[in-house]
Amino acid sequence: MVQNDKTRVLANPEASNWGAPFAAHAPKHETAAEELSRKRKSAEYQTDTNSYPPWRQTNKQNAFEDRISYSPTDKRQRIDFKNSSKSKANLEMRKKRFEDPRSGYASSPSSRGESPTPGPPSGPVVGTCQNLEKNYFRLTSAPKPDTVRPLPVLMKTLDLLKKKWKRDNNYGYICDQFKSLRQDLTVQHIRNEFTVNVYEIHARIALERGDLGEYNQCQTQLRALYAQNLGGHPTEFKAYRILYFIHTRNWTALNDALADLTPADKRNHAVKHALDVRSALALGNYHRFFQLYLDTPNMGAYLMDMFVDRERLSALAAICKAYKPDVKIRFITEELGFESDEQSARFILDHTAEDLLQEKDGIVKLLTGGRAAQLFEQAKSEAHRVVDIKGQI
Amino acid sequence: MDTILEDLRLGHHKGSGRHLAAALTPIDTPRLPNRLKSFYKRWPAAQVPSNIRQCILQAPARDSPKLPKQELNAWVDVFTAYWRAVGEIVQFEDYSSRASWVKVFDAWKELANILIRGYSNFGFQAWTIPCLYVVGKYLRIFAIKADAEIASQESMAFADRFQDDVTTDFGKNGKLEETARILNRMFTLCLGDRNSIEESRKWGVYYMTNLLFKTYFKINAVGLSKNLLRALNAQSGDIPPLGSFPKSHIVTFKYYVGVIYFLDENYVEAEQHLAYAWDHCHKNAIKNRELILTYLVPCHLVTTHTLPSRKLLTPFPRLEKLFRPLCDCIRKGDLHGFDAAMSAGEEEFVKRRIYLPLERGRDIALRNLYRKVFIAGGFEESKDGQPPIRRTRIPVAEFAAALRIGTHADDRSRVDIDEVECLLSNLIYKGLMKGYIARERGMIVLSKGGIAFPGTGV
Repeated sequence: MVQNDKTRVLANPEASNWGAPFAAHAPKHETAAEELSRKRKSAEYQTDTNSYPPWRQTNKQNAFEDRISYSPTDKRQRIDFKNSSKSKANLEMRKKRFEDPRSGYASSPSSRGESPTPGPPSGPVVGTCQNLEKNYFRLTSAPKPDTVRPLPVLMKTLDLLKKKWKRDNNYGYICDQFKSLRQDLTVQHIRNEFTVNVYEIHARIALERGDLGEYNQCQTQLRALYAQNLGGHPTEFKAYRILYFIHTRNWTALNDALADLTPADKRNHAVKHALDVRSALALGNYHRFFQLYLDTPNMGAYLMDMFVDRERLSALAAICKAYKPDVKIRFITEELGFESDEQSARFILDHTAEDLLQEKDGIVKLLTGGRAAQLFEQAKSEAHRVVDIKGQI
Repeated sequence: MDTILEDLRLGHHKGSGRHLAAALTPIDTPRLPNRLKSFYKRWPAAQVPSNIRQCILQAPARDSPKLPKQELNAWVDVFTAYWRAVGEIVQFEDYSSRASWVKVFDAWKELANILIRGYSNFGFQAWTIPCLYVVGKYLRIFAIKADAEIASQESMAFADRFQDDVTTDFGKNGKLEETARILNRMFTLCLGDRNSIEESRKWGVYYMTNLLFKTYFKINAVGLSKNLLRALNAQSGDIPPLGSFPKSHIVTFKYYVGVIYFLDENYVEAEQHLAYAWDHCHKNAIKNRELILTYLVPCHLVTTHTLPSRKLLTPFPRLEKLFRPLCDCIRKGDLHGFDAAMSAGEEEFVKRRIYLPLERGRDIALRNLYRKVFIAGGFEESKDGQPPIRRTRIPVAEFAAALRIGTHADDRSRVDIDEVECLLSNLIYKGLMKGYIARERGMIVLSKGGIAFPGTGV
């Protein structure tokens, strides 16, 4: 599923600006789910223990509803650069860059204690740093120009990151670098097609790795950027947005997303697909839903993988109530988009009892009826509890 | 003496919150078209506080001691701030280039803050809470005007805060969000009052809640409305019963609670609250009754699978136009017509947030279509003198044929038998049909005895 999807994305010139295919290994479904689970837990833990200094808390008041920014884990900050050989000058530069944020951090409270510091200088920073790679640190004061990379350097950085992602597939490193890249764009007030491109690429990589918090941050920014008509692929991301709200079961936000669509948007293939997915689910048409699932444009399948099992449980609850006395496992496999009879059998056994699958004359059947219906109904209810997602909305 | 000062004097003289609120109402009236300007031009700025104080002191409350000094000073501050706000409003009448809704909002916000301090710090009494109502109401109105003014003047500005991303907010509703925070403080003021119930500000709790609901809906922060409901539920033991409050407060409250549940797709709860609002709404409040029905009709469709009668919608031409085509198609089992009606009304349905539940009407249309298949199937031959019973074992292919006709499917888009089974299984799962599918034989077996389609008589 994921492999086919990736091929389709790469074959579609409109979908992505990436110059060449990246050879990422398709994560197994269980593995992806586990990673997502761990990632989410890690993010929540990080948020709880991250105590902001007082002036930082003041800034947070600017956000109206609770907006949680995803902060990098310690592991990410400790990532070593691949190319270990650096000239002495580069090492000096690196050391200086590491020290600067800390010294800024240290000086702020005493300065504030003595007398109120005037606000940060208005207007963008003009960067002078020439390094292609830079670790991400949260800003605690106005950045120094020599730690910020100007646009031509950032363009080279993006090229480098694309190559590294294709070659190394190291998500922790790539996420750290992209956040740094985004930050340099922000402090220089750069908003152009390049900016859109950066956010789109980061969003797609985050989607592929199931990092919904990071994806959500990028997607929020993209909405604002698209509103300024700077280019990019707005309909691709509008489709993701709809699928995302299906995943989070946020019906209010979903209605808003529908209200935002123009007639031209609705004719776009990816958006139309997402709308059809939503409609199929609303009506319980699991047959159509799984047909759509197997034919998802761009990278939408990564999002649909987040809720496809939930919908399989819904479908099985309906099937067990409606069909008697049994159905063939092959029917389940084909109807619910499984890759094999073995996969669908395993899924059924994960949620019910072993004796509900019976083999006779070489044919495996699921015994539908009261008991199976009850078990799937139970599993469905648990799966449909509201999803808690960190990140900006 | 003009009407603002007269209302101020009468308010304190009679202990009438209504008069004080009237004094603070920042609009001219047909009877007094220069009400605001005459108040503003009456004195130079330096003399305003002392003259307001004089006006209040002329009216010692009949049966109670004079106002404590702190309280008196606070009321002088309130009306002085009001005077300044009126000064900003009358700029519009003078067509002054200085006229600005942002300035009006800022001045009114100052008034709101001073009024809140009057209650929290200086002992304003509960009978004056209509002042909170009117100040809160106009804060919201002025915020909307100010945000519109800002939107017409600015493009998205660069923020200079220390942030990691290009934008942190869209800034469209900045003043309204400020308003929400202030209204929240007013709400807390009412909810948290510890005085005995006769002298408590708790009587204002539903009015302030309603004002907050309205504001949260406007800025698309419906999630925050749920926080309000939790706060109310936590204190429900201390709040007087609903029946003790003015009916208009409660009907509005129930309407908003119903819509909140509605947006969460909790249609059972939503229906209870909306039905209460409908039952208790004043007969002549046509606009409000129309609003309630806008959500009650889709709610009823989802929870009971029933359609509104023609009689119900007749007094509301807009709802008739909105819902009638859909209802007709559902009743007839016309899937193609249903889809067309949904498309035609889509923009309006989405705007009112009723598209998602109305879409579920398709299930009813489908049931009605399949019911026709069942009826057309006729009866089994009678045996042994028993009355004839309807045929209950029906090939799935017959439903497929009906679906093909019903959706105007042409030869290229064949109806998939598996999809037909899927649709049938959903109707069975949802209780709209009673029976089971025997897949190996390609048949559906429906229940005997008039319950194959529960609630429809066959």
